Amino acid sequence: MKIIVTVLTLFIAVTMNAQTSYKNGMTKAFELWENKKNDDAINLFERIAKAEKENWLPYYYAAQVHIVTTFMIKDAQEIESRLTKAQDFLNEAKTFSKENAEILIMEAMLYTAYVVYNPSVYGATHSAKVEALYQQAKTLEPENPRATLYHAEWKMGGAKFWGKDPKAFCPEIEKAILYFEKESKNDTPFYPKWGADQVKRIQQSCK
Amino acid sequence: MRLPLTITFLLIVSSINAQNTITGTITDPSGTPIQGANVYLDGTYDGSSSDEKGVFSFTSAEEGPQTLIISFLSFETYSLLGEVSEMKNLNVVLKEDINSLGSVILNAGTLSTGDNSKASVLTPLDIVTTAGADGDYIGALKTLPGTSNVSEDGRLFVRGGDANETNIYIDGQRVFQPFTATTNNIPARGRFSSFLFKGTNFSTGGYSAEYGDALSSVLLLNTIDEPNQEKTEFQFINVGIGAGNTQKWKKNSLSVNAFYVNLKPYQNIVEQRVNWIKPFQSLSGEAVYRHKFDNGLLKVYGGLSYTDFELIQEDINVADGVRFGLKNRNLYLNATYRGSLGNDWDITTGSSFANDHDNINVINTNILDDENNFHFKLKLRKRFSNRFKLNLGVEQFLNTFSEKAQNPDSDAFETSYDNNSSAIFSEANIFFSKKFAMQVGIRGTYNSLLDYTKISPRTSLAYKTSSKSQISLAYGDFYQSPLQEVLKYNTTLEPEKSSHYIINYLYQDKGKTLRAEGYYKSYNKLVKFDTDFPEFASLYTNNGDGYATGLDLFWRDSKSIKNFDYWVSYSYLNTKRDYRNYPDKATPNFAAEHNLSLVTKYWINDWKSLLSTTYNFGSGRPYNDPNESVFQNQKTRTFNALNFSWAYLISPQKILYFSVSNVLGFDNVFNYQYSDTPNVNGEFARRAIRPTADRFFILGFFWTISDNKTDNQLDNL
Repeated sequence: MKIIVTVLTLFIAVTMNAQTSYKNGMTKAFELWENKKNDDAINLFERIAKAEKENWLPYYYAAQVHIVTTFMIKDAQEIESRLTKAQDFLNEAKTFSKENAEILIMEAMLYTAYVVYNPSVYGATHSAKVEALYQQAKTLEPENPRATLYHAEWKMGGAKFWGKDPKAFCPEIEKAILYFEKESKNDTPFYPKWGADQVKRIQQSCK
Repeated sequence: MRLPLTITFLLIVSSINAQNTITGTITDPSGTPIQGANVYLDGTYDGSSSDEKGVFSFTSAEEGPQTLIISFLSFETYSLLGEVSEMKNLNVVLKEDINSLGSVILNAGTLSTGDNSKASVLTPLDIVTTAGADGDYIGALKTLPGTSNVSEDGRLFVRGGDANETNIYIDGQRVFQPFTATTNNIPARGRFSSFLFKGTNFSTGGYSAEYGDALSSVLLLNTIDEPNQEKTEFQFINVGIGAGNTQKWKKNSLSVNAFYVNLKPYQNIVEQRVNWIKPFQSLSGEAVYRHKFDNGLLKVYGGLSYTDFELIQEDINVADGVRFGLKNRNLYLNATYRGSLGNDWDITTGSSFANDHDNINVINTNILDDENNFHFKLKLRKRFSNRFKLNLGVEQFLNTFSEKAQNPDSDAFETSYDNNSSAIFSEANIFFSKKFAMQVGIRGTYNSLLDYTKISPRTSLAYKTSSKSQISLAYGDFYQSPLQEVLKYNTTLEPEKSSHYIINYLYQDKGKTLRAEGYYKSYNKLVKFDTDFPEFASLYTNNGDGYATGLDLFWRDSKSIKNFDYWVSYSYLNTKRDYRNYPDKATPNFAAEHNLSLVTKYWINDWKSLLSTTYNFGSGRPYNDPNESVFQNQKTRTFNALNFSWAYLISPQKILYFSVSNVLGFDNVFNYQYSDTPNVNGEFARRAIRPTADRFFILGFFWTISDNKTDNQLDNL
């Protein structure tokens, strides 16, 4: 009896240990990212992803850091390499979580990054993909605040280009704010919940 | 109390027990430290990033054999299986990933368009927004170096080769009648609508062993894999109307489109030099179905078109002109499958079929032509590593042709042949480093009609001279069967042969591209005959030969001026050949010595307009004057044309388009036709061969309807 208890306890301890290293690892990676150590953050997310095997989240964040990094650099070769890598990570994420609105939103951001970096090459081909991805994401989760907010920002960009009033999409931002407030806490640790702090920036066009 | 103690003890023991430190240094092949590489034990949380000196160090509780992984952007991932305790002071040299941007490209002879090609000179959008292309997918390619301006023909004339020396492929399958049926001096257009394609490889020489039966050039068109979205499109143009629709469901998509062209209303308004009895009209329909499998992609294409026209062509020897009527029906089917077989084997296979039927009336002769063509190809590719890939393939071509000519004055004449050929090819891609690559291939062809077997070697090398420039070389032997117009009378000839020697320099830097290519091409075994045109009773030989040498330059700059993009192509060509009925070596009429194109595109944001202009220049073209003692030693005046187009985006999905070719109305002459017999003064009279009209106007409205309201047809114009 004693032995069984010991073994069981040990087993639980080991499992909890694994859970803890996932939590610690993810927390550490977010810290690195916050401290602008983007590449270290990506590396850690990647290591966690490889160790965890069937968890889409670390891949998702590794992709996100790569995408966000491309907005801050100019070197074409580096941008292309990072975006390719981000696509690889998202492809991995998709194999563990199909029909996932958050991954689709991240993919829309990825294509947006291509358009931002080289509009003359990617503008025509990737714009329609961005639009399609946001729509798909909204079909899966009509009240996803990130899909609502970033889709509105994308459309405002389009409206500005066409000389139309971007304010037409301001009600969408109001909706996004509402969805952010309503956003229920997901039981999965580290589930995406970012974006609320971007509302003010995007709302500038509504003034 | 004893139990928790035991556990604590156990935990402490296990953590003390296993503290292996893993250390090492990472550099690139030149010895430069790599910072930020991801180093970890596979399947564990243990790892770190390398520092600015390339040094890494981390501890792990793991024991025994483990796999150490080192990965970094643009480098191949490194892995090491070994005892954790022995992973100390490792010196790791990462190999550059030759798939990444910045690798050397095997590009001698090739001009690419598309998103994905690293050596792209044009984007798909460029292809269709080039003024003067008039929506013809192939039109824009004529602004690239290596092509000669032969605007009365409409097809591609590459490096001193005539238009029949260029073959066109869609998704790797041969297209047999890529151009609309036409007659002398009425330019042909590509049969395929531009919205089907996502990228193009235009090889002006030295191409891969995968392609045969073309002496000068291959044009490889790739169709899109997956349409972006469901949409409906309408086109209203002053010369025709069209409509298209795309549907997507699950892993399938289907696109259909139809187009009707009638030049009658246009020709009633704009005066023509041709006397049209029945103006040109055509009806065409296309459908593409795509299905995604887990490991592959199936595409099926079908196109059907009807063309009909009748006219009286001016002729110096026939006072009333020559009456010519043509009805053409063309069916083209193409099915391809591309997929992975696992274990780094890929398969690409497909077949294409074409049925072409002509009903021609010339004066009082009626000619019925019927031709069937079939092409099957199977290609396997094994990826041994990123640095070594091997292609193996087999091809089969079947061709049947029959002709029946009839006129009231004589018996009906019938002829037919079956021209089948088989080919095998193999090609290896070797990357010695990110800077130095090589492709070696060989192709063997057997033709059953002419009973010949030919082996053609192909090879190319590329070396990166700096981060922005590279030099490449290519060599190849190419064979092509004699043309249908000869084969219908003689089937004892040998294939014609050419050899290409190419040197290429490429410089690319942030929106700027400079490409210079020098070449020498020899021609052997060219078909000769002793009459003006190939005839039943002509005497045929393979005694012709010739050469072409020249320099092609291309410069593009899309960055220096905001919203302004331009490219310049210049081709110098020196060529002579003895073929057909030439008395000796001479430069053919289609080969001008200098060709220049300047294409500009300017996006005016406030007007939502894309303005484009194309200027074409060609030096005088050689022609033969029977009043002179030397064959083909005269030159026409120079060719000039300035084309202009304006695409106005009314809204994201509505485009108004206007274009005019030869705005300045240059009076261009392509050639002269001389009378067969001298006049009373002993001179041969002549007439100039000129365009059917100096200018061509297009006014169109393009409307797209889709759910997401962003897509438009700018990329189809």
